[in-house]
Amino acid sequence: MINYHPTLAVLTAFAQGDLEDSISLIVASHVQMCEHCQQEVAKLTEAAAEQVFEQDNLEDIEPFKETTSSSLNMALSIEMLDDIMSLDVDGTAEQSNFKEETLTEGLKHLNQHNDSYEDALNQSNIVSQNARIISHKDGELPLPRALNSLNAAPWQGVGKVSRARFQFNDDERRLSLLKIDKGGQIPQHTHTGIEITLLLEGSFEDDMGRYQKGDFIWLDKDHTHSPITQEGCVCLTLVSDSLYFTQGFSKLLNPLGKLIY
Amino acid sequence: MQLSINNFGTDKENSIATQPQLATDLCVCLDLVAQHKDKKAFTELFHFFAPKIKRFGLSKLNSDAMANELVQDTMTLVWKKAHLFHSSKGAATTWVYTLMRNTCFDTLRKIKHKDEISLSDDIWPTDAEEALADEADFKDHLLNEKVLSYVDNLPLAQQSIIKGVYYQELTQEQLAKQLGIPLGTVKSRLRLALSKLKQQMGDKYHD
Repeated sequence: MINYHPTLAVLTAFAQGDLEDSISLIVASHVQMCEHCQQEVAKLTEAAAEQVFEQDNLEDIEPFKETTSSSLNMALSIEMLDDIMSLDVDGTAEQSNFKEETLTEGLKHLNQHNDSYEDALNQSNIVSQNARIISHKDGELPLPRALNSLNAAPWQGVGKVSRARFQFNDDERRLSLLKIDKGGQIPQHTHTGIEITLLLEGSFEDDMGRYQKGDFIWLDKDHTHSPITQEGCVCLTLVSDSLYFTQGFSKLLNPLGKLIY
Repeated sequence: MQLSINNFGTDKENSIATQPQLATDLCVCLDLVAQHKDKKAFTELFHFFAPKIKRFGLSKLNSDAMANELVQDTMTLVWKKAHLFHSSKGAATTWVYTLMRNTCFDTLRKIKHKDEISLSDDIWPTDAEEALADEADFKDHLLNEKVLSYVDNLPLAQQSIIKGVYYQELTQEQLAKQLGIPLGTVKSRLRLALSKLKQQMGDKYHD
């Protein structure tokens, strides 16, 4: 049972493609594990689509009236249409006349389409279950699908804590797998930016609660915590590169800080 | 039967609120594009969607040229992938929205991070079949495209086999592993798909 989810605001921004890339990756990873959020995202996407496409108020928008250059002018439209439809290679160009027959046939196909959709759905479930596997020293686990295109650096560890960083181009945040062995603990810490944790395997607890597989925990600079795990856990973490931890002082005193961040 | 698609986006009286017909019309047009590459239907879709995509693009990308590119890229996907739209799964507008959002997301990545890897399909998976049919691998071959248009008419399960074996050049064993299905299933689907293709192409060439 997943108890901790992204907020509605985060899910809305996710559905609209407005989150930072790295945050989208970790939110997507949670959504893949969480049926509740899948449904939410589906609803929010539908709402976003309605807002963009079904409120027919284009003519009411002043900038479009005034600057013809910013609207899609007729010549460009025609050029684009020709361009796109010239991608047609199967020689059915002459079928441009709408006939009643074509329409009926179209509707018939629409139904057939729906039948084969079940097949396709089953098929795609099979494919998505076939996730990339990543191994760690105590076993292996399937990676969230959102990370399919990313490479992870080898595991590095100090004591019971190890991490594998994803090679991902985000100046502000770092995305890693974090593994804490049985009975491991991370000393009390705080950060100047954000720390997002998605629990992929196992469980841990901190001052605020107990977390299980699939839980999504978003902390900011107002939170201080010291996670501890009885059974061990593997998390996906996204942490802003905190100034505090990059300075010499904390590096010397706290090699763990450097490892995690 | 009179189809009202000619009025897309032009007749304000027929706005979506008063015209539930619109959703059906969009679905019918998409299906005509999927099944027949029907140009009239696509033109209707274009006139409905393009100005709205343009507006969306301007707000996200802040550039007229890039907004136009978004229109072109998104509508190209509609043209090429119409067969992947299923009205049972949701509204046509939602489907086009996801294509547009994903394209826009990857465009922004390119601008902001100079990163060419497209992540949107991993973040918002639409259809796992698409991932298998990586078009980049074969898009420059006219013959392949011709064959592909027939492949696209196959049931999706068979499509993925054909594309895996012939376009990605996977062995049948690799493909079985990748799809998580028994080798025997791969073989039988391949046989079925090939005989269907033969039939279709034969029909075409003997017309």
